[in-house]
Amino acid sequence: MSRPRVDTVRLTGAAATAITASALLAVIALLAAQSIPAARQGLLHFVSANDWSYRAATFGAAAMIYGTVVVSAIALLLAAPLSFATAVFLSEICHRRLRMPLKAAIELLAGIPSVVYGLVGVLFLRDLMGAAFERLQWNAWQGDTLLTAGILLAVMIVPTMTTLADDALRSVPARSRDAARALGLTRAESVFSVVVPQARSGLVAAVLLGLGRALGETIAVFLIVGRADNRLPESFAGAMRTLIEPGQTITSKLGGAEPNIAAGDPLHGGAIALLALVLLSLVLLVTLAADRLRTGTFAEEH
Amino acid sequence: MRAVRPCAGTTGGLRRAGTARGVCFRVDHDSSERRAFSLGQPTQRAGPARRRPPGRSLWAGGTRAVLALLLVWPMLSVAAAPRALKINGSTTVNAVAAEAAEILRREKKMSITVDTQGGSSGGISGVGDRSIDIGMSSKPLTAEDRAKFPKASFAGTQIGMDAVALVVSADVWNGGVRALTKAQIRDIYESKIVNWKQVGGPDRRIVFFNKEPGRGTWEVFAAWLYGDTKRAPAVRHPEVGGNEETRQKVAATRGAITQLSSSWAENHPKVKAIAIRLDDGVAAAPDRATIASGRYPLSRPLLFITSGPPAGDAKTFIDFVRSPRGQELMRKHGYLGMSDLSTGTAKGAR
Repeated sequence: MSRPRVDTVRLTGAAATAITASALLAVIALLAAQSIPAARQGLLHFVSANDWSYRAATFGAAAMIYGTVVVSAIALLLAAPLSFATAVFLSEICHRRLRMPLKAAIELLAGIPSVVYGLVGVLFLRDLMGAAFERLQWNAWQGDTLLTAGILLAVMIVPTMTTLADDALRSVPARSRDAARALGLTRAESVFSVVVPQARSGLVAAVLLGLGRALGETIAVFLIVGRADNRLPESFAGAMRTLIEPGQTITSKLGGAEPNIAAGDPLHGGAIALLALVLLSLVLLVTLAADRLRTGTFAEEH
Repeated sequence: MRAVRPCAGTTGGLRRAGTARGVCFRVDHDSSERRAFSLGQPTQRAGPARRRPPGRSLWAGGTRAVLALLLVWPMLSVAAAPRALKINGSTTVNAVAAEAAEILRREKKMSITVDTQGGSSGGISGVGDRSIDIGMSSKPLTAEDRAKFPKASFAGTQIGMDAVALVVSADVWNGGVRALTKAQIRDIYESKIVNWKQVGGPDRRIVFFNKEPGRGTWEVFAAWLYGDTKRAPAVRHPEVGGNEETRQKVAATRGAITQLSSSWAENHPKVKAIAIRLDDGVAAAPDRATIASGRYPLSRPLLFITSGPPAGDAKTFIDFVRSPRGQELMRKHGYLGMSDLSTGTAKGAR
């Protein structure tokens, strides 16, 4: 009686799973197929040259890759220490009754749509940074800079990283802490020489997943990064200087007008698809690494 | 690594405690079930295994209903929704088109969507690949546009005229920069002139907010400076998109200059349109009389682009904008209407 019904459910489930799984493959395949005309012009030129101009049909994306890396690096440098400190407090120090509302609040923060952060950037952070540059007499042009985008991204990824780092710390069995305390270690010693080392791969995974989010974030970055093409530093001092100048990331380019303009132009469209592939590979790499580390932690435990 | 080692043995010793706790949980669970039984409550938690058969058939029925709904729903919604007239392109033209669309929605119950993705080029591409009905353009159609979409037969209908002004922030204007020559503008665009004092202004670095390539404003500017937009060099200026954003950034930044539709700079306290000094030394300002006379070099037609001559809803819409009421909207937004032009015909539209 119930046989065919079970099969309907199983079949539907299998079909849905097949669609889900093939979506990723389809995206990669479509992008790869579309990017062929641009890839023919030379992949090395694409990632290393600094001459993006669709008018002149030259597509060197080095400055955008640089922008993406720099903005994400700033975000990680600022967000990681803050997230870890918060996670240690939540997991190891604060009282259970305080922990639950704090954890809930942080998870709510992680769910705020990124365009809201972008608006905060436009309405508040941009002017604040502009005023700060003015006060410091750094002779920056204005508030839209790579640094501004990095700071905003840091604010965006702190909740994600905190809640993941907290999970990693909590997955360390209580018996480890008990044993450490029983051996006479202080709480600080037990946290930093027993709990944190055991949670290490989970913590690295938290950083990587935060990085994944930072790499892919579009609208918030688009609004305050300045969108200036081909600004690549030539020296270390120049690199410091570019931080307080407008720049371009892969996402801000893809979020802009060019994908619309590229329709119908195989070379330009190919360059856009190739740009998307570069971003996709970066994010996939980071996410895969994070997943490996995370499953590693949980396997160790059982 | 090292830090884990010494306690690994200890935790090993404590593993029994963990197991014990596991047992403890199970005992807890049993007792709670027993409590539920003893209180005579419905066995919701206690007997999921026994309740499954009726639950499953309900679930399968539900699944089927959901699947059926998923299949039928798109058809229903497609049948129910009227086909909207899709318009996309230049923010310059959008100022008028959005208002015209509002009037037609109200008075003729037309369904119209107006968007500004990608500026003029976005509009032309949209008509080219048939994803929209009308493209708004603030630049003339070029051979390049036609070559990109060989299958499309673009038709442009002019609705008026506008000028691209070079717009500076108030501090530059007050510092004495009121007109620039074409050569000076080119040197500023190519970052050969980087300080306003090099052109008789205040001692302040020049911040050029470049309109995104593809925007009609940029196309007209680059075509004027370099003859052909393809010869425009790659520059490293921060890019801006729509007119609102552009004006806001220039107003908020000292030492700023940008290319902007002249009507967007009229009567604004913080952004000022400068004149272009012509070869004969006369400064041509982007005001209505100079634009209409043809003396101002950076003027441009405003167009609606369709695939083939306008027909149906698209024709209704375009005819409305070309009617006296629509043309009044053009003037309200600071553009020149068709009757303001010396020839009055669709000059530059094709």
